[in-house]
Amino acid sequence: MIKSVTRWTIIILAAVISMFPFVWLVSTSLKGAEEIFSFPPTFIPGTIVWENYSGVWNAIPFALYLFNSGIVAVLSVGMNVILASLAGFALARYRFRHKQLLFLIVLATMMVPKEIIMIPLFTTILKMHLSDSLLGVVLPFAVEGMGIFLMRQAFLGIPKEIEEAGIMDGASPLRLWWSVMLPMTKPALATLAIFTFIGSWGDFLWPLIVLKSPEHFTVQVGLSYMLGTFVDNYRYVAAGAVLAVVPVLIVFIFMQRHFERGLFAGSEK
Amino acid sequence: MRQYTPYFFLAPALALLCFFVIVPMGQVFYYSLLQYSFFTEHRYVGIDNYLRLAGDPNFWWTLLNSILLTFVTPVLMFVSLILALAVRNLFRTAGVVRLIFFLPVITPIVIVGIMWRWIFTEETGVLNYVLSLLSIDRIRWLTEYPVNIISTMILTIWRGMGYYMMLFLAGLAIIPKEVEEASVLDGINYRQQIWHIILPMLKPTLLFILVVSSTSAIKIFTELYILIPGAPVSNKSLVSFLYVQAFERFNFGYGSAIGMVLFIITLTFSYVNVRLLERGERT
Repeated sequence: MIKSVTRWTIIILAAVISMFPFVWLVSTSLKGAEEIFSFPPTFIPGTIVWENYSGVWNAIPFALYLFNSGIVAVLSVGMNVILASLAGFALARYRFRHKQLLFLIVLATMMVPKEIIMIPLFTTILKMHLSDSLLGVVLPFAVEGMGIFLMRQAFLGIPKEIEEAGIMDGASPLRLWWSVMLPMTKPALATLAIFTFIGSWGDFLWPLIVLKSPEHFTVQVGLSYMLGTFVDNYRYVAAGAVLAVVPVLIVFIFMQRHFERGLFAGSEK
Repeated sequence: MRQYTPYFFLAPALALLCFFVIVPMGQVFYYSLLQYSFFTEHRYVGIDNYLRLAGDPNFWWTLLNSILLTFVTPVLMFVSLILALAVRNLFRTAGVVRLIFFLPVITPIVIVGIMWRWIFTEETGVLNYVLSLLSIDRIRWLTEYPVNIISTMILTIWRGMGYYMMLFLAGLAIIPKEVEEASVLDGINYRQQIWHIILPMLKPTLLFILVVSSTSAIKIFTELYILIPGAPVSNKSLVSFLYVQAFERFNFGYGSAIGMVLFIITLTFSYVNVRLLERGERT
């Protein structure tokens, strides 16, 4: 066993390193114009300046960026959850021709990195007249192989008796899916929802390609745009970045349990 | 009617996957054989784009940088394994602890980039200040190549370490107590125990991390876009090169050829992974 002093030193050091950039970001967002360039840098702001937050809120349409990101996240979560659980249900609970082949196709789509297909996706979105729109950001990733896989696993775990009871009651397939089976997969649904939320809230490359006019920017594209235009005003960028982390933090704190299960989902081979 | 039910359930998802993943994958290959830009007619040019890539120094530089970035993997494994061994059995991973180590990995990359760009700032940044206390000269974290690749690696290690630590903890939790206790009775020291008992049993976790970490490192883009926006593309990654060619110069054909190269690299990673897993099962 490692000595407990060594262990605690490692842990505390790692925790400090892990947290420092966040603390530094918050500290920067509360500093005045001169103080952010002071050398040596100050850890706790000499005077706390809340104006950076009102500044970022008023000087740029930051509220609009947050709102756009909210729309993208809600649409992504809704579509992914519904489409993946429909497909996962069919793959788990029905026997049909070409089932293995179709499942293999779903798995194969997981091997294609998003970065590689950006060009054809962009030309497709252009042809659909969806460029520079939030729908254009959401639609290509409205369902993903990983989500279908996750929901299939969840539906596989439901005992046959429950399904049979539903069929005996004369439920139609859609009803069976919605009111009997779907409630049994709540933990997996929650995991899928959280991961889709965190993914779409933080997504950058695709929205950067699709969105052209500032009033359509998501918060990540907006922050990067601010970084380009407010180079000398890092305090505003810092305040904006703090505001943009808050939703992720809230989701994480309230749904921690589901989050952790999701992280390990991929590692259980 | 009944036998069609599963197809109705599958249809929307499969249609979207076909339209937005499978067909585009074919298109990338097809585009890579075209001279295709926003402003000109497309024309079939065979493997010209690939030949042009082979002679383009920016391609070789960005390929080199992307491969260099995958070298974070062993470092990340080492750091997060040490951390997991330290945390192990010490306390139940309480909410606060989880928050501390998970926050970096769930924070959007753009925001991570913003935080670190400020820390790396050369004249007034806090990192160079700390180094100056240790009487180390200012390091040009952002403006000097290849230092900026190292900066990106530092960011990646910082972001991944807590996540991989948690994966290692999960792997460690399933090692039977008896195995370790028996090895202690056999009189081997801690280092031998790690090397001969713990590491072999962590093989699935190690392989998983190997693949996840290297496939995400080879696709790095956003970190560089935020950290060093003004730097020439030859100092950045393969995806940065793809982005510049396709979405700043609108060379879709040439960009697609870069995409194909990236696809072959990621496929190779997956293949190696599967082979390693198979070998692991046989022994």
